[in-house]
Amino acid sequence: MPFYADLHIHSHYSRATSKELNLEHLYVWAQRKGIQVVSTGDFVHPGWAKELTDKLVPAEEGFYALRRDLARPMLSHVPAACQGEVRFMLSTEISNIYKRMDKVRKVHNVVFAPNVSVAGKIQKQLDAIGNIRSDGRPILGLDSRDLLEIVLESDPASFLVPAHIWTPWFSALGSKGGFDRMEDCFADLSKHIFAVETGLSSDPPMNWRLSQLDPYVMVSSSDAHSPAKLGRESTIFQSDFSYPGIYKALQDPSHDGLAGTVEFFPEEGKYHFDGHRQCQTRMHPRETIKNQGLCPVCGKPVTVGVMARVEELADHPEGRRSPNARDFVSLIPLPEVIAEARSLGVNTKAVQAAYLDMLSKLGNEMAILRDIPVSDIQKVSGTLIAEGVRRVREGAVQIAAGYDGEYGTVHIFSDDERDTLDHQMTLFR
Amino acid sequence: MADIDRPDYVNSAQWAAVTESGTRLLIVAGPGTGKTHTLTHRLLYRLRRAGPQNKFCAITFTQKAAEEIKTRIARSNEAEPILPRLITGTFHAVCLNILKDAGPLSGLPEGFQCADPAQALEAGRALWPGDTDKQLRERLEAISRWKATVFSEPVPDDVVFYNDFLRGRGLLDFDDLLCETVYFLRAHPAVLSGLQAEIPEIFVDEYQDINPVQHALLKLWVGERGGITAIGDPNQAIYGFRGSDKRFFQSFPDDFPGARRVTLCDNYRSGQTILAASGQVMARDSDGAVPVLTAQLYREGKVTVFEAATDKAEAEYVVHQIEKLVGGMSMFSQDSGRVDTETGGERSFGDIAVLYRLKTQARLLKQAFDRLGIPYHVVGEKKDEEDGAESVCPCRYEEFSVTAERVSLMTLHAAKGLEFPVVFIVGCEDNLLPLNLVGLQAETREERRLFYVGMTRARERLYLLRARKRLLFGQTLHPQASPFLKDFEAGLAEYEQAVLKTKKRSLQDDQMSLF
Repeated sequence: MPFYADLHIHSHYSRATSKELNLEHLYVWAQRKGIQVVSTGDFVHPGWAKELTDKLVPAEEGFYALRRDLARPMLSHVPAACQGEVRFMLSTEISNIYKRMDKVRKVHNVVFAPNVSVAGKIQKQLDAIGNIRSDGRPILGLDSRDLLEIVLESDPASFLVPAHIWTPWFSALGSKGGFDRMEDCFADLSKHIFAVETGLSSDPPMNWRLSQLDPYVMVSSSDAHSPAKLGRESTIFQSDFSYPGIYKALQDPSHDGLAGTVEFFPEEGKYHFDGHRQCQTRMHPRETIKNQGLCPVCGKPVTVGVMARVEELADHPEGRRSPNARDFVSLIPLPEVIAEARSLGVNTKAVQAAYLDMLSKLGNEMAILRDIPVSDIQKVSGTLIAEGVRRVREGAVQIAAGYDGEYGTVHIFSDDERDTLDHQMTLFR
Repeated sequence: MADIDRPDYVNSAQWAAVTESGTRLLIVAGPGTGKTHTLTHRLLYRLRRAGPQNKFCAITFTQKAAEEIKTRIARSNEAEPILPRLITGTFHAVCLNILKDAGPLSGLPEGFQCADPAQALEAGRALWPGDTDKQLRERLEAISRWKATVFSEPVPDDVVFYNDFLRGRGLLDFDDLLCETVYFLRAHPAVLSGLQAEIPEIFVDEYQDINPVQHALLKLWVGERGGITAIGDPNQAIYGFRGSDKRFFQSFPDDFPGARRVTLCDNYRSGQTILAASGQVMARDSDGAVPVLTAQLYREGKVTVFEAATDKAEAEYVVHQIEKLVGGMSMFSQDSGRVDTETGGERSFGDIAVLYRLKTQARLLKQAFDRLGIPYHVVGEKKDEEDGAESVCPCRYEEFSVTAERVSLMTLHAAKGLEFPVVFIVGCEDNLLPLNLVGLQAETREERRLFYVGMTRARERLYLLRARKRLLFGQTLHPQASPFLKDFEAGLAEYEQAVLKTKKRSLQDDQMSLF
């Protein structure tokens, strides 16, 4: 049975996150989204670690379940059509900021632990060298390579995945704080890295253009800072439903336990294009080159995004497929599809109500976006939304690309189309 | 010695010091002038030219400094024949060896051990059970001071009782190591001349920090004919309160007749602006010459003076500047435009130190660092589990080691001997620098030297901060700026003031009144 896993999220102990990022709400939202395995995030933080040990109970090997007495009352928030088991696995993101070869490096890494006692070991090690109490995602002046060493020494089944590897400011290959080669980041321990996270602003085909990434499998995660963002990207497994199952699927490229990933359209990510958020200049890398890297409004260097950085490091043209490539599917979150169909803001009550209505009548979001026949969706939500889902599935969407921290904006319908399709809808009714 | 032999990594003044043929030499080495470099090369040079039976001894104030010298010598290509002839160690370690070698002759308990501070405190509690903690601490400090500065008849009763108590338990405290060695060598001329024959030349680091008992030991050891190379900087003498006496630096030519003096003036650490400002502060009121240092590595250097409304705002300024220097620490600070994208990227946490006069000033800084999640460590503040660590050889300075980069928070005293690309000195106020609080006063000239030490820790950026309002020991103070801030030309620094937020508030008030 394939299952969806979201391997990188945060708790309410991380900075700039929702207060609702607690286990109960993750339990609710995982079911709404159709995610079966959710990373705990933030396990190094003593406050979150305590919540984890208090509220979770061991399930399958390396998996944990929310205590029954806590889960049961939350089920009233989960439409019956979405209800299912949710498992948690232990992970945490670390922000490594350090100097290597006279350059300041800023790399985010996600660390996975096979059980609570190993997580405790890692926590203790990091506590001795830095401040793990003020941020769920601690900032440590620790070299990524040294973090990897700590992780590897904690347990044979612990592992590290470099996070959103293309993000300009904080990633292994980022234009500002990263390296040109993954091996430069992890040095002598590079062979212990076997998976990398694509991040929202890149998709697998972009990564396949680099031979240096061939040894790694791609994973995708939401990096959610609020429960509603859970599963916006995720990784699909068809392995044993356990931590060792996931570990094996990632670690052994010949293993078929890793089915693929659910992706954003990379244009929707915050750093796809180049530009200046404050000057509202959104630039395709071609324009950036034409402008010699400068912002036409303020004249200062623009923030170079993921697309340009991939182009810079790629050694293959577009269209190349890596030998370790897995399938992937690009989706747009359902609330955004509804909002686009209705010409409403995504956070409006009407959109939220329509969203929950669809979940209760059709099933979880992943099923709606991927599996449920468009005709069934049409019966519940009308032509416009059903057509929106169909277009997402076909990739027939337009996105004004994100840049310098600004998300891309999705366009599925033109105003004319909206009128026409709406009209048809009235006719059918 | 012809200059032609001079390696290009030794400048001409350093070379003059290295090759000085007289065996008695005082090297004045200001901050960043290559003190250890010069000392090590002179050691090598002298060792090469000395008879193979002669040993040399290099005495330092910290274990770390002793190891540094040894490591540098070991790296040289002639290390093999030379290393066995070199003894390096702190004053305490060297004395411990002399006393242990003496065996029963020393008259000390057989197989004596060193009492750690906890054991010394325990002895005090047993002897003076009526003392409050404060009284006991003062009593033990007085005993320590007597051993470091007087150490001669008549011996005060407290010292007699305390020593008897320790000896009865087979213990010596750290101060005993020094004065017992002096007593022992005075009483046994044969042992002394044996020592002089075996080790005819000694090298002393941080000479401005020696105290009378250390001075007595050196005079005794060097005697009429021995050699001594001393290196240090009288302008960095900051341990007067512990009995150190920088007058020994001035009296060196009298103590060791025939001594030569070399001054190093090329600075390999700081930007010229930082050197100019610190040099002016020092020259304003010094009882000795202040060598003018010339920057060799960085042409520029920046000094910023910032005046904050409160001590909290001062801490807030520090962390915000650090966030800027590091170029943003989170996506949030990046995406929200909290950090200028163009300024950052060059600094990491290990590049930065925040220095203060009193340990209590660390509290607000720690809160601000915690709020932003900036990794830091407070030098000298130990976590519970580290307390039980074995006490290595006694040393006066704080040991300094980290495995991950962190911003260093420490007192100005603890910063001695260290350097950082970016240094913040907080609390540049007239009651903290110079220290002048009720019950806490210090000698102004030594405070000036302390400030000089702090300023000269900075390589490229120096921030001098002060608050107009500060809570200290439960009292709200409204201090003036430190007088030291006025002792350098205003043109050397950029002056910043907190931007007042009143405008924003009045706008809000207007909006409120509409309803």
